[in-house]
Amino acid sequence: MLALLAQQVPDFVRPDIDWHAAAPELTLLTFGALVTMMDIVWLEKGRKLTSIVASIGLLATMVPIITLAVDGADRSMFGGAFVVDDYALIMKAVFILTGYVVILLSTNYIAEGDYWENEYYGLLLSSILGMILMASARDLITIFVALELLSIPAYMLATWRKRDLKSNEAGMKYYLMGVFASAIMLYGMSLLYGGSGSTLLTDINESISGPGDPSAVVVLGIIFVIVGFAFKVSAVPFHTWAPDTYEGAPTPITAFLSVASKAAGFVALMNMLFVGFFGRDDVYEPVIWILAALSMTVGNLIALRQTNMVRLLAYSGVAQAGYMLAPLAVAGDVPDSALAATVGYLVIYAAMNLGAFAVVIAVARKTRTAEIDDYRGLFHWAPGLTVAMTVFLFALAGIPPLGGWWAKFRIMGAVIEANTAAGVVMGIFVAVNSVIALYYYARIGVKMWAEPAPDDDTAPVRVPVSLTSALVLTAAATIAFGVLPGLVGEVTKVSLLAGVGG
Amino acid sequence: MSDFLRSYLTVAIFGLVGFALVGAFLGLGRLLRPDKPNLAKTEAYESGVDPTGDMWSQSNIRYYIFALLFVMFDVEAVFIFPWAARLEAYEIFGLIEMAIFIFILLLGLLYAWRKGVLKWV
Amino acid sequence: MTDFLNDWGLTAITFVPLAGALVMMLIPRDNEGAHKQISLGASLLALALGVVLLFDFDYGSAGSLQFVTDEKWIEVINSRYILGLDGMSLPLMALTVLVMPLVFIYSWNHIPEPGNGKAFLILMLILETGMIGTFVAQDLILFFVFFEVVLLPMFFMIAVWGGPNRRYASLKFFLFTLFGSALMLLGFLALFFLSKDPATGELLRTFDMRALTDVAGAGIVRSSQLLIFGGMFLGFGIKVPLFPFHTWLPDAHTEAPTQGSVILAAILLKLGTYGFIRIAIPMLPEAAEAWAPWIGLLAVIGIIYGALGCLAQTDMKRLIAFSSVAHMGFVMLGIATLTDFGINAAIFGMVAHGLITGMLFFVAGSVKERYHTLDIGRLGGMLIQAPRLGWILGFITMASLGLPGLAGFWGEFPAILAAYQPANGIPVETFRTYMVIAAVGTVLAAGYLLWLLQRTAMGEPSEEFADDPNITDVSRIEWIAWTPMLALILVFGVAPGLIFEITDPAVVESLNNCLQLPAGCEGVAEATQAAFGG
Repeated sequence: MLALLAQQVPDFVRPDIDWHAAAPELTLLTFGALVTMMDIVWLEKGRKLTSIVASIGLLATMVPIITLAVDGADRSMFGGAFVVDDYALIMKAVFILTGYVVILLSTNYIAEGDYWENEYYGLLLSSILGMILMASARDLITIFVALELLSIPAYMLATWRKRDLKSNEAGMKYYLMGVFASAIMLYGMSLLYGGSGSTLLTDINESISGPGDPSAVVVLGIIFVIVGFAFKVSAVPFHTWAPDTYEGAPTPITAFLSVASKAAGFVALMNMLFVGFFGRDDVYEPVIWILAALSMTVGNLIALRQTNMVRLLAYSGVAQAGYMLAPLAVAGDVPDSALAATVGYLVIYAAMNLGAFAVVIAVARKTRTAEIDDYRGLFHWAPGLTVAMTVFLFALAGIPPLGGWWAKFRIMGAVIEANTAAGVVMGIFVAVNSVIALYYYARIGVKMWAEPAPDDDTAPVRVPVSLTSALVLTAAATIAFGVLPGLVGEVTKVSLLAGVGG
Repeated sequence: MSDFLRSYLTVAIFGLVGFALVGAFLGLGRLLRPDKPNLAKTEAYESGVDPTGDMWSQSNIRYYIFALLFVMFDVEAVFIFPWAARLEAYEIFGLIEMAIFIFILLLGLLYAWRKGVLKWV
Repeated sequence: MTDFLNDWGLTAITFVPLAGALVMMLIPRDNEGAHKQISLGASLLALALGVVLLFDFDYGSAGSLQFVTDEKWIEVINSRYILGLDGMSLPLMALTVLVMPLVFIYSWNHIPEPGNGKAFLILMLILETGMIGTFVAQDLILFFVFFEVVLLPMFFMIAVWGGPNRRYASLKFFLFTLFGSALMLLGFLALFFLSKDPATGELLRTFDMRALTDVAGAGIVRSSQLLIFGGMFLGFGIKVPLFPFHTWLPDAHTEAPTQGSVILAAILLKLGTYGFIRIAIPMLPEAAEAWAPWIGLLAVIGIIYGALGCLAQTDMKRLIAFSSVAHMGFVMLGIATLTDFGINAAIFGMVAHGLITGMLFFVAGSVKERYHTLDIGRLGGMLIQAPRLGWILGFITMASLGLPGLAGFWGEFPAILAAYQPANGIPVETFRTYMVIAAVGTVLAAGYLLWLLQRTAMGEPSEEFADDPNITDVSRIEWIAWTPMLALILVFGVAPGLIFEITDPAVVESLNNCLQLPAGCEGVAEATQAAFGG
């Protein structure tokens, strides 16, 4: 029987492995294993070291990413299922640096609480491994494996405060919704595979992008895949898990979910749209348009009524996802601008949103909550944090000269450049929504600066070194992106279309 | 009809026949057997033990962890069998690949062991 | 030195205040004296640079940009760091660098509640950088960034140091202006993507304001032009503020600290009108022509509405705020005529309004400090208790109502006159009607301003304040801060040519580029030249 099986399969051709291209993933995998091994050898005695080893691992992973970027050549492996190009490298760098900041945020939070520490960093690293794999994935199976690799650790991390009911709720909701989304996406993928006979995105593109109407199978496949990722990036109406999960999860993990996990969803979505579905914009553009318009409007309107900082940031994150989706709604008309706009937004969003969460964590060290009312009079007992929070909030609102304005500017630029009615209407949606969003960001600003502290309690808060460095890093990046937008502009001039004929 | 869909037709017919057979036998049994219901017959297990307590009784979490470990190595076996069948073709490359794969799984087992999961206290 | 001035003079003047702010951030909060000195020093340095630039400015070619800096900035979108100064921006830049040091001098012993002079002064310095930058930027994106930089400091000045209702007022100010500027940005982007070179028909893809003014909307279909102008109209119109977008202004003025009110009235409102004459009109003349009657209509509604609003106020600051709406209505009416004459009048009106209303807010602040109220009904007899303060109030009220010989007159009167003969293609009858309405507006202005003067300055001091030791006359700090503005109100009133001569070439230049000046209008242009000694 086995002999029979062996006869039928073709000869084995040893795949050509470009070790340099795979070096980031391999480095991170090694360090992930190392963190686990430390636990096996030392058990609790290794506690203190794990966060250091994990952050060294992330910095070490940056090395091959930088050498690949310096080298500059586009690399491709496994018949095009794994691609390393400028786009992939930028996103990998974003994930790694985000991960690094999240470790800075976590160090004291996790060490001072009653939590498993070693596993925390191990899972964090494997989630990031899934993300950097996602940046290179150009094949349905690779994308799915990367997605599960980044999601499953994240489900567990969301429940890390295991003695807290809300954290359990957070993880459970996230898990159920995530699995549901995966299932829908997988169904869509199987339809696409059935319709085209290949799992490679370039092959899929070749078979579905021809002239004429697409078949029903392909349309259904595309829509299911988009819906699946819409869960991941928390776009309305698939956002319902986000506020509860964000509120219940440990705050550093909330930051991680709202930045890295969301970015990973967008990376996968962009891989799909720009490589797999390119040329089928008649199918995906309307879907994305509706998702984008709904996300920014509903997210902002609900955010207006929040009284909890983390929930507010969750809904603002939903709205921000809407902004990021906006250029993808014209991806077929102005592919280069749309891609650059969304990638640029992800880069800047990572800096400003991580910063905002860093402040939330720092403030909660004293207040123990994240209620917005506890930010009243923050200026009187933590002027530095107040200035930092002001920078991050108004950057999120898109006020020059802080980073966010450039992000929004590129979004508006892309939708206007498309020069279609849908594009212009989307531009007006973005403009009006920026104003709605400003209301809740500015309201927090007023509370922090202009109101007295509750109970006149102006005892200062001690901010540990790692948290301070995270704040400095993110604030510097937020301001630099705003004053010298050319920085982001240059690195996000990327293209995903290299492999597509036409 | 395309070849592709034709192969699904086979699956569909197979499935239909399967359902029909099950339905036919159950229906036949119902027609033939005597029908005398009593309370004992509605119990979950007709093994002579009286059921007590709620249906939703908790079982020890360790069963779950062992089941998980079992699944882990079960899946490992699923990957190892086809690999073993083609080992000659894969040569040394395949050997190293599998070594890495097993090493990572082994790490999991070691972890479980060090954390005391394998002890049944 | 001259080379440096030519290449980097404008950069220096723009960023000197910001540099001062950065230095101040390093100094601890307790050392308030040092903060006051540095902030005043930085603004004086900017003033000195401004004076040097004024002397170095080639008045013979005031129509073209001078001291141009043109450097790489954001290459991906082809946006460049371009600064330049011409006759249109010079008066406004000069106004900014002049008023700011006076505000800092005033702050010497007037840091409003709840204190923290460091943050307050830093915000004002950032504000100064933003305002100067807006007036000298010659790239749409750069302009936009400076235009928005102004928002945050002003928002915080009102929100933190404002009156009892400050949170509402600051948010309203912020939301209104941001709404306008978001749509304005869409307009800029559309200009970027749609403008074509008329000669070759190629897409320009530039934010360079000089190039966009040169092509003047060529290649953009009319309906798009109208929409783009609409976006800019909202952006600039809210900032001006035009009726019906003015509602943020009375709230912001009433709640803002004195310094905030002065800056808001003297300079910030001008960003909007400046945007109209620098960007919206020269770049989209066709659309401007179509929109002009509507702008004119809103302007005269603003004049009448502002005046009637004034008559209904009981709060002195609120009254001045409504009078701002009316005065900016005259400025907008001048702009809406699209004539050389009208736009020159508008620029003069901006400077005059900046000086006069700025002064009014200074006086209002001092009144509040002495009487702890601005309720017009409770004030009175200022001429007896604090005669010099009373006389100053009288002087600027006269200037504000447009008394010939003082600066206010040259803003209002030519604007009304220009409405008699608007540019070709604009309905003459409509504008003549506007003219009559605006003239009624001046009468109303005289009414409410004299009423204000009579209720507050004349008569006997009310019993409640009759023996109040707080009520003293003008202090030395106030004299230092106010004298330059009072002098300029008089100087510009007597010799309006000082400003008209500088602005006229630039206005002609920007209008000639885009509008074929109609025959009837050239006559007016010549008349202007003759009248103002051009």
